[in-house]
Amino acid sequence: MSIWHIAWGYLWNRKLPTVLTVASVALAVALISSVLTLRDETRKRFEEEGSTFDIVVGAKGSPMQLVLSTVYYMDTPTGNILFSEYERLRQHEEVVAAFPICLGDTYRGNRIVGTVRELFDHVRVDPVTREKQPLFRLKEGRYFEKKMEAVVGSTVARQNQLKLGDVFVGAHGFMDLPEDLLHVHAEFPYTVVGILDASGSPNDRAVFCDMESVYEVHKEGHHHHEEEEYHGPFRPGVEDTIAPKAEHEDEEGHVEAPQEKEVTAVLIDLESPIQQFQFKELVNSEYNAMAERPLNQIAKLYQQLLGTAKTVLLAIGYLVVVISALSILIGLYLSILQRKRDLAIMRALGASSAEILGSVMVEAFLVTVLGIGTGWLVGGGVSGAIGWYLADRYGLYVQPFGFSFEHTLAFGTVAFVGLLAGVIPAWQAYQTNVARDLAEL
Amino acid sequence: MVKLDSVRRRLGPGVEFRCDSFHASPGVHMALWGPSGCGKSTMLNLISGLLRPDEGIVQVDGREIQGLTEGQLDRFRGERLGFVFQTFNLLAPFSALQNVLLGMRFSDRIPQAEWKTRAKELLERVGLSHRLDSKPRTLSVGEQQRVAIARALANRQKLVIADEPTGSLDPKTSETVMNLLLEMCTEEEVTLLLVSHDRAIAERLPERFDCSNLVKEVPR
Repeated sequence: MSIWHIAWGYLWNRKLPTVLTVASVALAVALISSVLTLRDETRKRFEEEGSTFDIVVGAKGSPMQLVLSTVYYMDTPTGNILFSEYERLRQHEEVVAAFPICLGDTYRGNRIVGTVRELFDHVRVDPVTREKQPLFRLKEGRYFEKKMEAVVGSTVARQNQLKLGDVFVGAHGFMDLPEDLLHVHAEFPYTVVGILDASGSPNDRAVFCDMESVYEVHKEGHHHHEEEEYHGPFRPGVEDTIAPKAEHEDEEGHVEAPQEKEVTAVLIDLESPIQQFQFKELVNSEYNAMAERPLNQIAKLYQQLLGTAKTVLLAIGYLVVVISALSILIGLYLSILQRKRDLAIMRALGASSAEILGSVMVEAFLVTVLGIGTGWLVGGGVSGAIGWYLADRYGLYVQPFGFSFEHTLAFGTVAFVGLLAGVIPAWQAYQTNVARDLAEL
Repeated sequence: MVKLDSVRRRLGPGVEFRCDSFHASPGVHMALWGPSGCGKSTMLNLISGLLRPDEGIVQVDGREIQGLTEGQLDRFRGERLGFVFQTFNLLAPFSALQNVLLGMRFSDRIPQAEWKTRAKELLERVGLSHRLDSKPRTLSVGEQQRVAIARALANRQKLVIADEPTGSLDPKTSETVMNLLLEMCTEEEVTLLLVSHDRAIAERLPERFDCSNLVKEVPR
């Protein structure tokens, strides 16, 4: 019969109040834990993706939009840059690798990414460990070799039950519209030749094809929808295709020169990451394009948007901690009032004031620890559910059960506040007037 | 075993407990009797160290306790005294066995390895070997008093203080509990001080102390 046993006995004896108090602590901890886990995990995933390439180059506009659209397939692109600019970039002496990205269509909400075959051989170098990790792994099939062959991400394949040899068509633009409102490129079907392994990255939600496929789909004569209000990156009202236009005469007999091909963005690896800033400045000043470091935008995104959201959610979490602490205090206080006789009997049996105080503090500790444990599990469940949505919607895989220094700090704070809430009832128990309370028996 | 000498304790404005002399020999079974409010329970509280005298000497088992610190008094109670109250003797969350174990928890008199054996033996002795795991709310009042007797003797105490132990029992159960208390205190060679306002109960014990004149009115 240790102090722990005695404390547990009293908690167990009033199950409902104990469960409710534990639940209130668990609620606070679940909120704090899931906010911290989701923030840590999404940042980790974003940074992993963001560190895949040193620089992203695209049309001038919002750097955030450029990064989100080309690295995370989340936003609409800023526009297109000339193919010749891509060639210049590729041939720059500091550039180790440059992969063009051509965006324009989607397949059931998933980006169709026109690129080159070499992208699949690219490896990501971990910025900390310097380990090389392949960006893509085939689950089955092969990579594309010619036009209109497609390699689909794991989520795309799973959600649409695609298998090798299946045929599908893309739809113009990036809007997630009902099927009857979509402009479908029915005359240009893609054939699935490869399915990627799940990578926990936005690539799971993408369809990859040769960039020539994108040009083929959007070449003049196949794609004119002036009535469409939305054209993605194709500059509505100026030109609506990424593909080159053929030479032709207008109504007044002027000859229009054939237009050059375009790419939406170029993903670039430099000889050394320390060249990033210099190279970015160089592109911004000497190219008709905009360069950005993906990690730079991710840091801004987290600081500006998610940083505020995190602060608000954590503030709510800690407010719930205070409310939970009050419920611990009230629960134990009432419990002490109800068991004054028990405390007096324990004192008569030889329990010291310190042992009485200790047993009440242990009760507060047990409630808090149970709340923290339950909250961590519930928080994991919440993170898992939100993570499932993020994976499905954005290709961001998060580990539901995170445990960082901040988790430790947060749980430590909750434990401290819980114990603090036990002090008043414990002090009340400590001051038990044994003779008076026994006289009331 | 127990000695009170010129003990004074202020109970309230104009009311004082006074006991000029009291003596109980080791092993004696003594009834402290008198009407309600006469000071019987105050006397027990002074003997058990739950109240401190304003003046005088309280000696228990050869030790003066009025000057002991709170910690020393806690230890003293745990090692030497056993209590049986009128009602609500047992701690509700714990089984009969655990309640008896609690009697040994707060002192070092019985080695921890022997706690369970000792508790089971005592519960068997009071006829409750079949109710070891029963919670107090499932026990009758008589059974609860029997558990309380077992607990009061668990630590091989020198002195058992019983405050109206049969006050809430029907006559038949009262008889059973009294018999058990007296038998067990005899077997364990324990001094018993039993408070009762019932003269018939008091007369069952070989020695009696009349508490009728312990509380006095004094100038404010």
